[in-house]
Amino acid sequence: MHPADLEQLVHRELRQLPTPAAPRTLLPHVLAAVRQWTERPWYARAWLTWPRAWQAASIAALIVLLAGCAMLVPGAEAVASRGASASVSGALGDVVGMAQRAQMVVNATRVLWRALLEPLVARAFALVVLLCLACAACGAALNHVAFGRTVPS
Amino acid sequence: MTDADAFEAFVRRYQDMVFGTAVRLLGSPVEAEDVAQTVFLRAFQRFSEIGSSPAAAGWLKTVTRHACLNHLSRYRARWRFFSELERADRDDSEPDAIATMASKNSPTLELEQAEQREQLEEAIRLLPDHQRVPLVLFHFEDASYQEIAALLGVSLGKVKTDIHRGREALKKHLTTAHASR
Repeated sequence: MHPADLEQLVHRELRQLPTPAAPRTLLPHVLAAVRQWTERPWYARAWLTWPRAWQAASIAALIVLLAGCAMLVPGAEAVASRGASASVSGALGDVVGMAQRAQMVVNATRVLWRALLEPLVARAFALVVLLCLACAACGAALNHVAFGRTVPS
Repeated sequence: MTDADAFEAFVRRYQDMVFGTAVRLLGSPVEAEDVAQTVFLRAFQRFSEIGSSPAAAGWLKTVTRHACLNHLSRYRARWRFFSELERADRDDSEPDAIATMASKNSPTLELEQAEQREQLEEAIRLLPDHQRVPLVLFHFEDASYQEIAALLGVSLGKVKTDIHRGREALKKHLTTAHASR
């Protein structure tokens, strides 16, 4: 049979097929899914649909969290330096020279941190995000090439 | 009529269309029901916009089509390797296998039309994904070869070849059904 004739025959026959009837279970399943969706708790919904009070509370919590992080970094740094000094001097007792050297190391580290590393933290974070995005893009491309986009062939 | 009643009427009206599209594309009634449920849930979320719109049927068809293709790519991607490995063998054996399956319950050619149609639906379901999906898109969804190629991310030649092989696989059964009318 010629391909064009076969195409016409198949098209004619397939278009005469009635639409398959949905199973009786579909409607109750859909209604149950819709009921479940509408009755889900407020925190499972989009943030814009949260109650005003909870929106305000979440914003306040976020601000507190960020402020806490910002305040914690220098504090932790000071605690670390104090701890390092105390442990060094305590452990070595009268070996003052060692403590002084340790103090110098701590100071040098602090200076290095403030002068070089601290300004780079934001950029390093951005770099990490960019690398993650690049990895995701590579993965997607690999998936596209290896598995195809839609239909197995 | 409340919103719930309106939505129930909406589902009753379009459920056969959505399920029919899904079951022909996926070849599995169970998976088609899952996809149809997802499609209607999405319709509910936008019911204020599409509930009374004349474009509702088109919107549902488009969403169903994409949901099915996503389902196929997400859950059946690994099948591609197997189908490619087995393609040479399967393509030769598919028409006979499908004809055998289709005529398994038809000892004579005096079958009723309803039974023949059911067998034809079954034969479509038995086609491998890479033949059934483009064939259904072409013959039931009125998509062109170019649209199908773009939708599936494959070449135009491959779409034509796969659809032709799908038609060949259905030919024996079609001819039998055609001749018995």
